[in-house]
Amino acid sequence: MKCSKKWLVYLIAVLTLAMLIVVAGCGGKKDSDKAMKYPTKPINMVMAFTAGGSSDVQARIMQKYWDKLVPQPWVFQYKTGAGGAIGFSEIAKAKPDGYTIGGVNVPHIVLQPIGQNAQFSIDDYIYICQVVNDPQALVVNKNSRFKSAKEVIEFAKANPGKLKVGIVGTYSGSHMALLEWEDQAGIKTAQIVYKGAADQNAALLGGELDVMMGNVNDVMRSLDMMTVLAVTSKERIKFLPETPTFKELGMNVFSDIRRGFVVQKGTDPQIVKFLRDTFKKIAEDPEYIKDMEKAGQPTEYLSGEDFEKYVKENNANAQTLLKKVGLAK
Amino acid sequence: MWEHILAGFLETMQPFNLFLAIAGLVGGIVIGALPGLTATMGVALMVPVTFAMDATSGLIMLGAIYSGAIYGGSNSAILINTPGTPSSVATTFDGWPMCKKGKADEALIGSLTASCIGGFIGTLFLLFVAAPMAKLALKFGAPEFFWLCIFGLSTIAAMSVNNVAKGLVSGALGLLVSTIGLDLALGVPRFTFGYYPLVGGIEVIPAMIGLFSFSQVIYLVASKQKFIADYNPSPGALSRVLRKFWTSCKVNLLRSSLIGTVVGILPGAGGEIASIISYNETKRWDKDPSRFGTGVIEGVAASESANNAVIGGALAPMLTLGIPGSAVAAVIMGGLLAHGIQPGFKIFESSGNLAYTFIVSLLVVNVLMFFIGLFLIKGTARVLNVPAAYIGVGIVALSVIGSYAIRNSMLDVAIMVIFGLIGHFGGRIGLDTGTMALGIILGPIIEENLSKSMSIAGAEGSVFSVFFTHPISLVLIIFTVFSVSAPALIAKWRLKSNAQGGGQNG
Repeated sequence: MKCSKKWLVYLIAVLTLAMLIVVAGCGGKKDSDKAMKYPTKPINMVMAFTAGGSSDVQARIMQKYWDKLVPQPWVFQYKTGAGGAIGFSEIAKAKPDGYTIGGVNVPHIVLQPIGQNAQFSIDDYIYICQVVNDPQALVVNKNSRFKSAKEVIEFAKANPGKLKVGIVGTYSGSHMALLEWEDQAGIKTAQIVYKGAADQNAALLGGELDVMMGNVNDVMRSLDMMTVLAVTSKERIKFLPETPTFKELGMNVFSDIRRGFVVQKGTDPQIVKFLRDTFKKIAEDPEYIKDMEKAGQPTEYLSGEDFEKYVKENNANAQTLLKKVGLAK
Repeated sequence: MWEHILAGFLETMQPFNLFLAIAGLVGGIVIGALPGLTATMGVALMVPVTFAMDATSGLIMLGAIYSGAIYGGSNSAILINTPGTPSSVATTFDGWPMCKKGKADEALIGSLTASCIGGFIGTLFLLFVAAPMAKLALKFGAPEFFWLCIFGLSTIAAMSVNNVAKGLVSGALGLLVSTIGLDLALGVPRFTFGYYPLVGGIEVIPAMIGLFSFSQVIYLVASKQKFIADYNPSPGALSRVLRKFWTSCKVNLLRSSLIGTVVGILPGAGGEIASIISYNETKRWDKDPSRFGTGVIEGVAASESANNAVIGGALAPMLTLGIPGSAVAAVIMGGLLAHGIQPGFKIFESSGNLAYTFIVSLLVVNVLMFFIGLFLIKGTARVLNVPAAYIGVGIVALSVIGSYAIRNSMLDVAIMVIFGLIGHFGGRIGLDTGTMALGIILGPIIEENLSKSMSIAGAEGSVFSVFFTHPISLVLIIFTVFSVSAPALIAKWRLKSNAQGGGQNG
């Protein structure tokens, strides 16, 4: 019996350890500075994607600078699944008291309610700011027979439904970019849907795909093996000075992936102002910009108002486009 | 290269790095042993911590956690029939029967030794042939993946020799479960019955915790057993295991490590598939396949050496192509990028010191793991001395925490309980939890690659040429056909040769 007690203690120790591990990621910082009315307690930071992912890494960099400005820390919560939809609705449904901030991605928050009956809408949020803008890129294998976007389009026109284009997920940034491109270039392709950038890149390198539509950020790592034919940004990208934009090629293809932060509709305007100001300060800190660059995050700051305007615009465009191709009513 | 390796070794031996490796191993083993806390989670939680260190030390720690967690999963697989990580599902097939026979110590030491050997071999491959390995990853397209998983699924035939029909039904149920949620190609919700949270699908881990652990608790509670298994630690277990490995498991360990490495290279296929395939192959090539499942150390060795060998494989395309071969490798890559290190073929030149030190540290970690593991086993095996009532409470608590922790969602806890009930009551009518788990694990990968292959076939205009003309696919198809028919054929042949009085193969 004595022995079993000892092992009960052991078991409890293991359990406690388990709990500790679960909460370990949350960190904790006590600070009694309550001069300001908000925030008076740690703020939940809801992430719709996994810990260690690109969104998470970005938010963690931000947190470093947030901690310098605000005495209350962020407590990270990961609510993942369904391409982010689970987390996004979690953010929308939280109490609008300023203590649940969330990271959102566009076009995900625009497309999921249209295409998949997600349980939130873009009107559920107040937008704090945009921090990242990752354009999409039309990419081929370095050894591809295609040397330019024009050649790809010519092939696709001559062989409708034969050009194998890889995209990541449906109702995603790369899906939208492909739809826009097909619409603008007047072509029809075979879309092949991959789960993530990793298997999409592998498929392009392995020769399974003719071209792919992917995040510039994911392509950058493999530039010695891939050629970027066109990008969806408004202007040429610093790292790819040779690569034309779709716009230059005469096509209005602008789909990209943007990340920003939001709180719930109904949050006290003063809190919103505080958050917008603080995030602006962080986003403009040269050290922060340097950190972001180091982590390969394509930084582009937009104020809350501008970000909201962009989301609304994106929504209108997506509605029109999806209706046109028959994916939405 | 050799000077890089030597420098890497010296760097690993720095007291601070050595400390990180040991701490990472212990932490990893504990995380791995707790059902629901997976290697991915453990590594992901520690990535931000590495921001505070230099990149090399951070990588050493992450590698140690990864190795420890994959090994750790076998502890609970053996002791409480609950795979601590999905990679250890196949370890339960023989580990748990060994435990029930009172040979828990041999099973634990066997799994530890096999893990270290597998991890070491996988890392050697990574060290010397990383670039060719990465190129192999690129040869694997959607049809190849499809056939690989069908091959994995053919394990059902071997797993349920006595009742293939029930095995097939269980596997099919697993596949069916795996279709719940958003369809990948069209983005349409399926089988959610209008209940929105289900669009995320059934998470594999809560389902498996339910099928294996929670159902086990119900059984435990109903059985009035005082202890979950007898534990007769016998002195000399270590030397017995080592001798056995040396005399009769060499081929098994090598083959399983090789399978693990190759499967590890492939993005989207990890330890869970590698261990199942290795287990199946070891069983097939054994002189007496029928002993498998009754508690033979070869089964444990196959599964555990394979899943640790996956680590070396999974890191190869990550380091050389920037394409991670597993979820954990993806997280580690996130850490690398955050340190401003770009993976790619050039990594061995541009960040040679770092890359080699990381790889060499994994070799050191696998050696360290043997001794740390031996030390920890002394404690973990004593779980069997705890009365079943306490163990039951402990498993329930861990099951709930583990299921919740995957997505921080109560839905997953409910899924865990439901699958626990399915596992328990289904088990009474012959439902095979092992094959059902196989269906749940392999289902999404099969479907994803089937749909990709069909899209490609649509573009190329021929289903036949996409599915049946790629060389790797053909090899996998032949394997599959062989795998499905072999158990029956071999049984028939044995019967015949026994009847003729041959019998020496029996």
